[in-house]
Amino acid sequence: MKLLLANHSSYPRIGGTRELQQLRRTIAAWERKEANDETLHAAQNALVHAAIKEQEEAGLDVLTDGLIRWYDPISHLAGKMDGIEISGLLRFFDTNSYFRQPVAKAEIHAKNGLTVSEFEFATTATQKPVKAVLTGPYTLARHTIAEHAPYKEIGPLTHAYAEVLAKEISALAARGCQIIQLDEPAILKHRADFSVLQRAVQFLSRHKGKATLSLAVYFGDPQPLYERLQELPIDMLALDFTYNPKLAERVVALGAQKPLALGLVDGRNTRLEDAAKLAHLIDRILLRVKGEFCHLQPSCGLEYLPRDRAAAKLKLLQQVRAHLKGSK
Amino acid sequence: MSREKLQQLGLDLPLFPVTAVGSFPKPDYLLQGRSDFRKHKITADQLHKLEERATTFWIEQQEELGLDVLVDGEMYRGDMVAYFAENLPGFEQGGLVRSYGNRYYHKPIITGAVEWTRPMTVDWWKFAQNLTQKPVKGMLTGPYTIMDWSFNEHYPDRRATCLALAWVIRREVEALIEAGCKIIQVDEPAMSVRPEELPVLIEGLQAVTQGLSAYFITHACYGAFEHIYPDMLKAPVDNFDLEMSNSDLDMLDLFRKNPFTKDISFGVTDSHSHKIEDVATVRRRVEQALTVLPKEQVWLDPDCGLKTRSVEESIGKLRVIVEAAKSLRS
Repeated sequence: MKLLLANHSSYPRIGGTRELQQLRRTIAAWERKEANDETLHAAQNALVHAAIKEQEEAGLDVLTDGLIRWYDPISHLAGKMDGIEISGLLRFFDTNSYFRQPVAKAEIHAKNGLTVSEFEFATTATQKPVKAVLTGPYTLARHTIAEHAPYKEIGPLTHAYAEVLAKEISALAARGCQIIQLDEPAILKHRADFSVLQRAVQFLSRHKGKATLSLAVYFGDPQPLYERLQELPIDMLALDFTYNPKLAERVVALGAQKPLALGLVDGRNTRLEDAAKLAHLIDRILLRVKGEFCHLQPSCGLEYLPRDRAAAKLKLLQQVRAHLKGSK
Repeated sequence: MSREKLQQLGLDLPLFPVTAVGSFPKPDYLLQGRSDFRKHKITADQLHKLEERATTFWIEQQEELGLDVLVDGEMYRGDMVAYFAENLPGFEQGGLVRSYGNRYYHKPIITGAVEWTRPMTVDWWKFAQNLTQKPVKGMLTGPYTIMDWSFNEHYPDRRATCLALAWVIRREVEALIEAGCKIIQVDEPAMSVRPEELPVLIEGLQAVTQGLSAYFITHACYGAFEHIYPDMLKAPVDNFDLEMSNSDLDMLDLFRKNPFTKDISFGVTDSHSHKIEDVATVRRRVEQALTVLPKEQVWLDPDCGLKTRSVEESIGKLRVIVEAAKSLRS
């Protein structure tokens, strides 16, 4: 069993230096129409490079582009689809960050690619594998106001989003993306909708080609759904261990039928975990997982932390792996 | 009930009292002053003078517009949590994290036991109140929100953190009351983030308000209130100040199913839109509110603090609210 170190998804797009605050200044200027699109893209590119560099310096094996270009996890994708209008602000789960809520006004269709160009840019910045991240269809649907009558039920709306995302997954896989992470935090808050998620994931998994499809759940306790999540047609299950201190023992007790991405490092709090203690726990978990590899990653995207702390959390992953007695 | 409480406190407010949620945009000279202060180009005293000038400006504006319950506008605060963190031992300033879009804030880190050592808002409240005959609200951030919007490296869990902060905020409430403040707003915008923790939020507010003589308001916004309503009404406050317009008044459906039993400061203009609503729009929103709320319970204000709007937009939004309130009273 090999333990790979991975970033979860997002990474801070600001930092303490003038260079790391360039994107904020550029966006402000762009909003005032004092900077053009080209200048904005250059500033975004620079921050993607910086995020990738810090992940490489931390010794990660699987990187992301930090989702630097995303306004938020919902409107960045939904806003690029026909049939959707973007509306007011709403709090994103229990974070102190906000997303703009999509309103489904008509049938949802793909306009252009959603994230492929972002993925391709990131691959030019590193030799390491880049994980593509997509907010899943159920979570998009849960955060959407359905004004289009056929979407009044969560099932059809989820499927409509899944049809767009299926094309995106195919496109990413066709461009050589090795791992695609589908984020579905909303299912932890609406467990009764599991069958809706199940149908969507079954549909999406048929479009993944050779890519590894990972399903990530976070911002809640996955324990009540753990066994059902194992049964989904996915290649990897990414879990947030921070909401339930007993989850790790539960995983040890039940084992895992497929590789896990272990979100044991808290992406929401600055307190650094004890590397030796985490390593001991991981040694026990890995003995119970079927597969050739697992990931160790933060519990969620790191943009909820200040940049220095986010970097420290990534470096901690390396320290944890160094303490492992078993798999490395 | 709350009208009686207001009268007992010596406050005689008209129907549809108009207020503001808390923050106003800082005038350019103050923004420049804060920037200069950070670069050590001006002294703390010079910055303080600019903050006083801006506070005076906003009190005058509110008077001129005809608001009934005023705020100091928070000219001396950067952020509603960071300000308290900067003034309370036990906190350290953290780095920048994103709130939404291109907006960032310094999220504080609790690194030790949090203590109240001196009033943090009382001098500013006195300064503002001395400029007007109208009541000025005392403005505090609630313990649950300070806990939720801070990193915690000291306390064992979220409840312990919230309760420790509650006793600190209570000391500030006591200091405000002692100074003569009669309306105190304890903002809890994080109220709905973890519905299962609503009892912790209520326990925190109980610790803050229990046995103290003031009219208490709490502000919450941009949340999934359907998960905590009507249980949120158990919070020991007299008035909930709620964002309603940005969410198309959808909470009214909840109020139809379970009556809203407290006073409400009803957000009638969207604080995150540059567009200034017209009086007819505001009136229509109030009229919709009155289909489920008794008029005696309804205060009017913007959805949220106005610090993200321009000075002109803020004044424009307040003006239409006052005009709508006047037309409704008549």
